[in-house]
Amino acid sequence: METLYIEATKSTPEIQFDPGNNKISIKGQSYPENAFKFYEPVFVWMDAYLKQLEQEVVVELYFNMPYINTSSSKCMMMFLEKLDVAHQTGKKIMIRWYYDRENETALECAEEFKEDLTLPFEINPLGEEP
Amino acid sequence: MDLNLFELQKTLQSCGILISFSGRFSQEIIEELGDAVKKYLETESISQNDTYNVFSIFIEQTQNIKKYSAVKTNCLGGEKIANSGIVTIGKTEYGHFVSSGNLMESEDTYALTSTLARINSLDKVGLKKLYKEQLKKDISVDSPGAGLGLIDMARKASRPIEHSFIRLDNEFYFFTLKVYV
Repeated sequence: METLYIEATKSTPEIQFDPGNNKISIKGQSYPENAFKFYEPVFVWMDAYLKQLEQEVVVELYFNMPYINTSSSKCMMMFLEKLDVAHQTGKKIMIRWYYDRENETALECAEEFKEDLTLPFEINPLGEEP
Repeated sequence: MDLNLFELQKTLQSCGILISFSGRFSQEIIEELGDAVKKYLETESISQNDTYNVFSIFIEQTQNIKKYSAVKTNCLGGEKIANSGIVTIGKTEYGHFVSSGNLMESEDTYALTSTLARINSLDKVGLKKLYKEQLKKDISVDSPGAGLGLIDMARKASRPIEHSFIRLDNEFYFFTLKVYV
């Protein structure tokens, strides 16, 4: 599979999906004009990746999204649900979500995503990355 | 009519308006203004959390207007609607607010009125439940939005959302929304 890389803009995050080391990161604010259009290639890549993913491989997803508008939240929920389904079929997926300690709303937003999912989901303040 | 900026400024100040933009919204204008709003609030003594909420409500309101204009592009009043946007950020004794307005076709006002009534009837727990339901609902890729914006604004608001419709003629109303952080 090929690496997926999308450069950040003011209203879209940097996306870095590396199938070589099974590390995936989404970093930056997200409030594009059309969130569904922006995230569509990301969904397509993820579907293909999860399909070929072997059960014993550990996948790490790193999120650092200081601001997410509502239509991007909808896309993130769809994205996380795909990962949750993969987790339920026995794939090893780990979410690490980072937020700014000063920003309660960002923490609440992460907690609300986590609430409805069953996969391992860590929420950490920024500055404590590995 | 003579352009009297002094009078205009007095009106803005008397309403507590700190920043305002009137005209056609593009994604670029929304992004630039959004940054300006954030930078401006950083110089005021408000918490980072309130700044975040003002920014977030500003983005949802302006993107809602932008999306509504996009839906109406091919309608007869499309141009008129696209040029009718206005957004303001201000401060009164109740705190900071984001207020915006735009023209709407009469037939679209009914659904919006009932959505707003429903949202204002809910407490924070009810709003969270409604937000989650809407978040998980399947919607198509070409849908203009997720239907979450107003619910999200109400969740971040410190007071009930205020709104008004001013009837212009048989076809158009001017819709105003005001949300306090």
